[in-house]
Amino acid sequence: MARIEDIPEPTRTNVLALECPTYEHRPWVAGPPLAERRVAIVTSAALHDRREAPFQPGSAEYRELSGSLTSGDILMSHVSINFDRTGFQRDLNVVYPIDRLRELAAQGVIGSVADTHFAVMGSTDPNVMEETADAIAARLKRDRVDAVLFSPV
Amino acid sequence: MSALAHKIESRGLPTTVVGLVRLHLETVRPPRALWTPFQLGRPFGEPSDADFQRRVVTAALRLLERNDGPTLLEDYGEDAPSMVDRPGWRPALSLPPVSATAGSAPADWSTRLAAELALVRPQWEAAKASTGRTTVGVCGLPPEAWPAFVGECLAGRLPAGPEPWKHSTALALRFVSDDIKALYGEAAQHGVPLPSSRQLDTWFWTQTTAGALLKAVRTMAMASENNALKTVGSRYFVPTPYLGS
Repeated sequence: MARIEDIPEPTRTNVLALECPTYEHRPWVAGPPLAERRVAIVTSAALHDRREAPFQPGSAEYRELSGSLTSGDILMSHVSINFDRTGFQRDLNVVYPIDRLRELAAQGVIGSVADTHFAVMGSTDPNVMEETADAIAARLKRDRVDAVLFSPV
Repeated sequence: MSALAHKIESRGLPTTVVGLVRLHLETVRPPRALWTPFQLGRPFGEPSDADFQRRVVTAALRLLERNDGPTLLEDYGEDAPSMVDRPGWRPALSLPPVSATAGSAPADWSTRLAAELALVRPQWEAAKASTGRTTVGVCGLPPEAWPAFVGECLAGRLPAGPEPWKHSTALALRFVSDDIKALYGEAAQHGVPLPSSRQLDTWFWTQTTAGALLKAVRTMAMASENNALKTVGSRYFVPTPYLGS
């Protein structure tokens, strides 16, 4: 369905017209085998602890998603209506696959799951997210993460 | 997401991106990306299918073991079964037909939403008890307060959002809308086979009073002199495929 021809208008036109940044610098950080990696999720689905305020449209902030949160603790306050939410209503993991990571850790496919994961508002211009990137990177390093899975909506 | 991944990798952390729009991945070119051919909003494909989701997660993580960068873009080759309609699907609850709505007074809308919510809530409560989870709660108002809040808005007043967030009317209304859709979506999906999102959305927007009400709210918002309400009404309220239904 996210094949571009399957996305209904006007979302298709908006998606195609979205200005994406380009970069000359090509970072590439190597790491140990997957079975030794500590994995965190960064999601752009504007997820947050239900005890916190919703994301504001255009916000460049990030939220911490503690590993101690249950699926019932997590809400979505993304501003867009142009993506499906019914899957998320049924199953958190179709957006934020935290249980899948735990299973992969238990199976030894990955080394471990980070203590904390992160959420941002995906519709925010990435050019205003330098400080957010600094903060998230610092937190990930503090948690000894060496594999970051980025999830969109 | 691709841009943020680029920034995080630039700060010394290995990243892998799941992306739903291939064109964006081709443009930004994050270090490692897996394009998944799923619906926007379902990056890991299939709800309630742990094996399916695990295959997608694993495919994205396996890119971290490659050493042929500095940019990798792979296509995921499996479609999600629920992208197509489930033949004969019916929601888990039946509601009376939506009565004529044109010209309804704000108080009438409040009454009708309250009456329909009374029919939907038991199924939603059952879903919540069964799964231990609900995605309702963004707006900060309990469901019994939604009809009055929406009625106030329809009457042209601009009630502030509830404590403690006290959002603007426009943003509070947007979040009430999200919570209404979430409550109905969770109720309609509970205990029945997984439908396509199109089936659920079509049901909500064409066969419920709540859907008709939200369209009326959109019309009000777009005619408002409040610019934030206008913006919410025009862009963030009713999906385009259902504007005319």
